[in-house]
Amino acid sequence: MVALTDKAWSPYVAGVLIGLLQIPAFLLIATALGASSSFVTVGGGLFGLADPSILEIDYVAKHVAMTGKNWWQVALVGGVAVGAFLSALMSRSLRRGVSPIWARALGTPSKPARYAVAFVAGFLMLFGARLADGCTSGHGLSGVAQLAVGSTVAVAAMFVGGIATAVLLLRRI
Amino acid sequence: MSVTFAVTVGILMGIAFGFFLEKSRVFEPGIIVGQMQLRSFIMLKVFLTAVATGAVVLAVLNGLGLVSLHLKPALYAADIVGGLLLGVGIALAGACPGTTLAQIGVGYRDAIFTLLGGLAGAVAFSYLQPWLSGTVFAAGDGKLSFADLAGIPYWQGALGLAVVLAVVLVGLERWRPWRSEIGANADGDLGAPPAEGIARPVPGKPQLRVHG
Repeated sequence: MVALTDKAWSPYVAGVLIGLLQIPAFLLIATALGASSSFVTVGGGLFGLADPSILEIDYVAKHVAMTGKNWWQVALVGGVAVGAFLSALMSRSLRRGVSPIWARALGTPSKPARYAVAFVAGFLMLFGARLADGCTSGHGLSGVAQLAVGSTVAVAAMFVGGIATAVLLLRRI
Repeated sequence: MSVTFAVTVGILMGIAFGFFLEKSRVFEPGIIVGQMQLRSFIMLKVFLTAVATGAVVLAVLNGLGLVSLHLKPALYAADIVGGLLLGVGIALAGACPGTTLAQIGVGYRDAIFTLLGGLAGAVAFSYLQPWLSGTVFAAGDGKLSFADLAGIPYWQGALGLAVVLAVVLVGLERWRPWRSEIGANADGDLGAPPAEGIARPVPGKPQLRVHG
């Protein structure tokens, strides 16, 4: 029914498998699935090479410290790239360039324009995620499953911001 | 827990996570933008299924006393403003922080710029964080859960949520079968939208029947 060489699995099969990853996260690492903290660990660590004073900010010091949780998440997020590569390789669906939807969504086929939008998007995404103290994984998958009030508010705001932007700023794909 | 052990577990879990994200197609810009334009609902299907599964898993593990929960404190201003910015970024990136790495893995070139922007955003926030911690963005209710509000044990609330989500997912699938939303190249690209005013049959929606 599902084969490693399939291009797509049912979203329900894939969703169950993603949800089951909470088991090793809670049992082995004593934490919930999350992704955005690792951007502080890596970004703060790298930027510390240029400006060591950033490492003196408590928030950054806490994230770059050699703890299991900090570096577990960096390894997790790095592993995502490897896992996605292996899956696409097996199903012969590796990609090149950019998704064909962007020419329509942005109204231009220009690659530099897409790269500029992507950079700004990444900036907003992680600034927002760090302000909210979590992203689609930490607040979404983990927070909502734990019935956290703050996470549910954050996820609702995320969809409001996403839908407003996609409807008002992007063209229909 | 040694760092070496945690990193080893992290790499293995990450490979599995990335594999499932790729198979689910939720990392595709066409799937994310399609969801945010309410044209397709694959992202919601994957997300709600994973939430429901996580809720069942945690209801069992926490109910048996094997693990404690790790709730984030409710910081309303930060959750709302941060969540809105995160949402704007997700729509323009066609990705979430985690799926950006999946996009890089499969070869999408623009995701490298999303990643660089993300690292810059995290660094910018880090510089502002000491100042923000003295503002309304640090105010909230602590680790508050809906189970606390309802006065029921977590496992009951979590199983209740899973049942509600299962019903919603069955409805979603009847309304919009997932196979009709994947696109010919499995990238959520369903082709150019129809011109204004021309009716388009909605996939999965029963045609109007005249009863005789």
